[in-house]
Amino acid sequence: MVPCIQASDVTLTFRPKDREAVTAINGLTLEVARGEFVSIVGPSGCGKSTFLNVLLGLLKPDKGEIQLNGKRISGPGEERAMVFQEFGLLPWRTVLANVELGLELKGVAADTRRKRARGLIELVGLTAFENHYPHELSGGMKQRVGLARALVTEPEVLLMDEPFAALDAQTRDLMQTELLQIWDRAKKTVIFVTHSIEEAAYLSDRVVIMSARPGKVKEVLRIGLPRPREYEMRLSPGFNEIKSRIWSTLKEELVTRIGGDGAQR
Amino acid sequence: MRALANFYREREPAILGGGFILSLILAWQSVPSLVSLPQGISLFFTTPVEVIKAFHQLVVQNQIQSHFYVSAVEFIVGLALAILVGLPLGLVMGRSKILDAMLDPFVTAFNATPRLIFLPLLILWFGIGIWSKITIVFVGAVFPLLINTYEGVKNVDRVLVNVVRSFGANEWQTMKTVVLPNSVPYIVVGLRLAIGRALLGVVVGEFFAASRGLGYMIANAATNYKVDVVFVGVTIFMGLSLILTYFVKKLESRLSRWRPETAKNF
Ligand SMILES: Nc1ncnc2c1ncn2[C@@H]1O[C@H](COP(=O)(O)OP(=O)(O)OP(=O)(O)O)[C@@H](O)[C@H]1O
Ligand SMILES: [Mg+2]
Repeated sequence: MVPCIQASDVTLTFRPKDREAVTAINGLTLEVARGEFVSIVGPSGCGKSTFLNVLLGLLKPDKGEIQLNGKRISGPGEERAMVFQEFGLLPWRTVLANVELGLELKGVAADTRRKRARGLIELVGLTAFENHYPHELSGGMKQRVGLARALVTEPEVLLMDEPFAALDAQTRDLMQTELLQIWDRAKKTVIFVTHSIEEAAYLSDRVVIMSARPGKVKEVLRIGLPRPREYEMRLSPGFNEIKSRIWSTLKEELVTRIGGDGAQR
Repeated sequence: MRALANFYREREPAILGGGFILSLILAWQSVPSLVSLPQGISLFFTTPVEVIKAFHQLVVQNQIQSHFYVSAVEFIVGLALAILVGLPLGLVMGRSKILDAMLDPFVTAFNATPRLIFLPLLILWFGIGIWSKITIVFVGAVFPLLINTYEGVKNVDRVLVNVVRSFGANEWQTMKTVVLPNSVPYIVVGLRLAIGRALLGVVVGEFFAASRGLGYMIANAATNYKVDVVFVGVTIFMGLSLILTYFVKKLESRLSRWRPETAKNF
């Protein structure tokens, strides 16, 4: 069977004006199966967001390619949607209008998209707030809007760039549970970037550990915990062992980065 | 007594502000009865009552109306043209590197020059009718609009552009859903500046060369020592500026309903 996502040898170099070129990712190869939940962890600046933007079709790799269902990605498409780190909500639009955005840009008729958007707002529990503006919402609510907005076009693949990083611990736990429920019901392929080892281990089928910049896949760990995941699993010795395995691999990269950042460039 | 105190407390700023203006007007009115002005000065002196009389006279003679009409047409047409040109040009200059590079030296040079310099030339070209004034209003108002719109476009949040592009938005849709709304506060600032420049254009243009309009009325009255008529004209301009400022404020708060309260007054 063709994997859902197949990234082969993806390399991308930023060439900003008047500054030195930075190779963000170099030879990244990864396969993701349909319906799989994969997390990516790695040192800051190793190219995680860059990789997601290539997947989204906003950046073109200099070398290598990514295939989606056997077809090369060459631009944005409705099979993919992103949940952005700092929410990325349009501040001048209400919750409802923000969620409608994807359908509006596709030219879906107003009443149809309103209905779909309302359904998703209900799914994330924000019906009472559909006419509020983003600045009137808490961080957790904003990210629920971000999630609803990404789901509205019924994408097959959900890309998430540190979606819960700005949330407090309890809201984060809650959002993780909600995300797993939605994922379980809608059977999406999820690629989830995070800095939290615990989050990666708890949510994922597999955790991808990236090397320091220029980023590539250093190791992939399969998380054998049964589904559905229960909050209590986090307290088990097995879970701790998974965490420490991820941590020890990641630690080598953090050391390289701190020790060799100047020398690399 | 208590009710009176409450009434005062609720309207303190209005009472103090209005009271101060009123007492100034009263003091002004009473100057001739308190001191006897030497002849050289009393020729150029007038009182509020005289000003009101002159105003009434001009209204009866239909003069104010016709001068006002001419100035209003110059102001509105000039400003409307400036909006029609400055806004779209600011938007495309902000988005297109090529147009930006092409037009930037031109815009910078014109913006750095006091635009009233062009008045003599515009009068030569367009005569002393309304078109020389419309063009001077236009060249005054178009640059603040263009430059502020451009700034707004340049300050657009990259993440928001990526959001709409990830949903497949084309350039036009990106403009409509992100770039334009993001520029609104900048455009309003530009509009406020443009209105000031436009009024200046009308007044100076009419001072300089015109046969009608409120600016002409003021200049003409001054030449003929009709100080009360000068004051009528000045008062009308003050009133108009206040009304226009009020409307821009209204527009601003209407367009920024989505912003947190604290950010509203910039
Ligand atoms: N638009 C850009 N222009 C120039 N350099 C860039 C650009 N975007 C990213 N980079 C550089 O590419 C590298 C990778 O950036 P990226 O944002 O992908 O890292 P990341 O892994 O997401 O980091 P973090 O965990 O801190 O979010 C960094 O060194 C960054 O400075
Ligand atoms: Mg990142």
